[in-house]
Amino acid sequence: MAPKVPPQPTLEQSSNAAEAGHGHAHEAPPKGLMRWLLTTNHKEIGSLYLIFSLVMFFIGGIFALVVRLELFQPGLQFVNPEFFNQMTTMHGLIMVFAAVMPAFTGLANWMIPLQIGAPDMALPRLNNFSFWLLPVSFGLLLSTLFMPGGGPNFGWTFYAPLSTTFAPPSTTFFILALHIAGISSILGAINIVATILNMRAPGMRMMDMPLFVWTWLITGFLLIAVMPVLAGVITMMLMDINFGTSFFNAAGGGDPVLFQHLFWFFGHPEVYIMILPAFGIVSAIIPAFARKRLFGYASMVYATAAIALLSFMVWGHHMFVVGMPLVGQLFFMYATMLIAVPTGVKVFNWIATLFHGSISFEPPMLFALAFVVLFTIGGFSGLMLAIAPADFQYHDTYFVVAHFHYVLVPGAIFAIMAGVYFWLPKWTGHYPHERLSQWHFWLSVIGVNLTFFPMHFSGLAGMPRRIPDYALQFADFNMVSSIGAFMFGFSQLLFVAVVIICVRGGKKAPAAAWGDYADDLEWSVPSPAPLHTFETPPNYQRPAH
Amino acid sequence: MRTLLVWLAGGLSLVGSSQAALASGWNMPVGVTDLSREIYNLHMAIFWICVVIGVVVFGVMFYSLIRYRHSKGAKAANFHENTTVELIWTAVPLLILVGMAIPATATLQKIYDPSDAELDVMVTGQQWRWRYDYLGEDVAFNSNLATSRSQIRGDEERGENYLLEVDEPLVLPINRKVRFLFTSDDVIHAWWVPDLAVKQDTIPGFISENWVRINEPGIYRGQCAELCGVDHAFMPIVVHAMEEDDFEIWLAERKELAAEEALGVDREWEMDELMERGEGVYATICASCHQPEGQGTPPAFPALAGNEQMLADIDWHTDIIINGVSGTAMPSFRTTLNPVELAAVITYTRNAWGNDTGDAVQPADIAKRLER
Amino acid sequence: MWGVIKSVLAAFLGVQKEAQRREDFEKGNPMAFILVGIVMALLFVGLIALVAIWAAG
Repeated sequence: MAPKVPPQPTLEQSSNAAEAGHGHAHEAPPKGLMRWLLTTNHKEIGSLYLIFSLVMFFIGGIFALVVRLELFQPGLQFVNPEFFNQMTTMHGLIMVFAAVMPAFTGLANWMIPLQIGAPDMALPRLNNFSFWLLPVSFGLLLSTLFMPGGGPNFGWTFYAPLSTTFAPPSTTFFILALHIAGISSILGAINIVATILNMRAPGMRMMDMPLFVWTWLITGFLLIAVMPVLAGVITMMLMDINFGTSFFNAAGGGDPVLFQHLFWFFGHPEVYIMILPAFGIVSAIIPAFARKRLFGYASMVYATAAIALLSFMVWGHHMFVVGMPLVGQLFFMYATMLIAVPTGVKVFNWIATLFHGSISFEPPMLFALAFVVLFTIGGFSGLMLAIAPADFQYHDTYFVVAHFHYVLVPGAIFAIMAGVYFWLPKWTGHYPHERLSQWHFWLSVIGVNLTFFPMHFSGLAGMPRRIPDYALQFADFNMVSSIGAFMFGFSQLLFVAVVIICVRGGKKAPAAAWGDYADDLEWSVPSPAPLHTFETPPNYQRPAH
Repeated sequence: MRTLLVWLAGGLSLVGSSQAALASGWNMPVGVTDLSREIYNLHMAIFWICVVIGVVVFGVMFYSLIRYRHSKGAKAANFHENTTVELIWTAVPLLILVGMAIPATATLQKIYDPSDAELDVMVTGQQWRWRYDYLGEDVAFNSNLATSRSQIRGDEERGENYLLEVDEPLVLPINRKVRFLFTSDDVIHAWWVPDLAVKQDTIPGFISENWVRINEPGIYRGQCAELCGVDHAFMPIVVHAMEEDDFEIWLAERKELAAEEALGVDREWEMDELMERGEGVYATICASCHQPEGQGTPPAFPALAGNEQMLADIDWHTDIIINGVSGTAMPSFRTTLNPVELAAVITYTRNAWGNDTGDAVQPADIAKRLER
Repeated sequence: MWGVIKSVLAAFLGVQKEAQRREDFEKGNPMAFILVGIVMALLFVGLIALVAIWAAG
């Protein structure tokens, strides 16, 4: 399935001409800040997304470290429970909506036009608007921390009525911020779907698209399907808080459980929104460094679609302890267990690709391999959580915290980092610093496991999540977790160093920076990629079988 | 590579040592009911299945990583897509899942059968305590955290059951099917005792049920498992499971106590008595929001010390305590507190911290007001 | 029609012969696959619901 691109003598010429800006319809771009504010270029907007998400990753990370600092020992030492709750809530919100999601959108902006041979996104001005909504949204969200009564303190899942009747006054701002972020996501998703469906190079069929494009296409549809549900549920909250309705207020005839149904109908597809593009990235990296075609391209596409389909029918597993009827429990248990099948297909495909390959361990590959192992561990705990009776014991404990951090940190975030290391040569023209990247990788892997593995034990031993203080038998596990968290957090500074060094210089990378098996269209343009690429569509030719 | 191994070994031994220190407390408890044992067995079964799959999958993966290194001159083979292999790795997991779903379904069916209960206990979640109501027995009480704030702050050494101790445990008989009815007065809480393998949300406006039959007498501890606000970490659950005879004696004593308390409503109470009783009620019920010195944490929780509206209007004050303020965090204490406690806490808040109004509210007046 | 159903079933499982897949993509009518896909997805949900109802007794 790996597409082979014929030599394109005209390509360099046209992109050089574009860069010089002569003889083209482009006007001279504005300089300085205005250039970034007004840019409609997919590469610049991609960079903005990535930088934004990195900044938010550190802000969310600082919140996590406040939490881990307080949990280092039993007792209340550093923050009060009220501020602690704001930290856990903000950590979750920022990481989900401002770090992981924009990072994938940033990668999509940068790479999808390059991978399908399009000159830019289908809707460049909309693209600019989608991005600039984000700083507004999260500026507003972070500002709630300084408002009287503090910021949101009801967890990132903001269950009513804790988030309505019992919420701080700043909750209306939180709702507005989330609305703006949601609009940004919907517009971004529409743009990506439109680009993929309409702007592929002549000759590139759907089943020729790189898997990152495929996974993002499906992710785009998931986003378009569920972000409006989130918008609906927060609007209902807004009404309950400010206009006297009773959607979630039992005293007025409402139903607090309705909130959870709506939230998780959004929330479960949301977790796949954060992992499907990761599958795409890993599926590009593993063949590149195993020097071998991906074992099953078509089954990867089908498995992604199957996971997306199942994601709409499993939301109830987040609600196993609300007291659903038996039929409901069974339905959601069976459907949830089935997700293991397509997920397993993916893992088996990666491993079959590695089998009998010729494997080297460059930084992107290290992160991709760690992804496969650690994401699979998160998958195992997910399977355990799917067993409803066992979930009665796991639910809302640190076992769950361990589970979703395994799929999100060494899952989604490692895949993002793998993608960044993989594409940095294309973006900057330089390879990332090898030694420093390796340090970053090993410290991250050790830090992540030190942080999250003991959480399995503290959860099984009975520690509920979202508590600022705990009984003495959980002390040792928490101390280890906190040490790991600080180790992981600070080693991310190395990542920043690698990126900065790579932007400024380093070993020069050729157009096809990672050899013959990283052969999607992006590797046919020069490194660094010029500002405008594929102004003349490349003539895509699929490999002969 | 060597430094790396040292790091890894260090990390592992750290995890290892904490495991050793908690030899009893790193896995799910087997618990003391038939169902908790069944759930434990399910948990261990799925765990070992995952371990076996993990060993096979990661085994092949690491074998490939080591065997087919580019640096050792490995040449990549050129195979891909094999329908037979793909069918196998789709079908085998499916079969394993069906094998897991069958016992899980059987356990779930047992859990969902609360019929033939011999005792009904209503469990009400409240910010931030539990209320237990032995339905049909006229026995009801609140169960508050018993760990002192000075232990939490670290001014005092932390006891063995730090944060897992209450003033009044839930007392249950062993060998009897006890049905729980869960509800909440304010936000969603979750009642969880690991040894009983019961975890269920308590939802305002809704009642859901679950049940337990405890096999062994003992004291079992748990915590609220659903974020319920600022003191979520500070509303533990303690279940004291007794032999049936002991339970009957305990229940009779509680009934007697309740009757005595009811008698207290009719007599005239002295100011000192009311203040003393009120101070206790305030500390367990009110202080977590309105703060020990009545200073509150505005805007969410108004100050009571020097609160002009409250001091000027005793009728309004009483109404708020009894009925709560809808749309805010202030709950109704109509059922949580009895008339003596209500009168005492109103008297206390009107006379403590320099609020020297001199008002002494009589339980009898409150009782009359409650009847209206 | 039966061919379309078989292909959609194969896609649900994620397993399909390369030759068959090529043929579907080259000769098949996309609308037919989409419609059959949606119907079968609904049937799939119904099937799990039926199993759950049966197991719940």
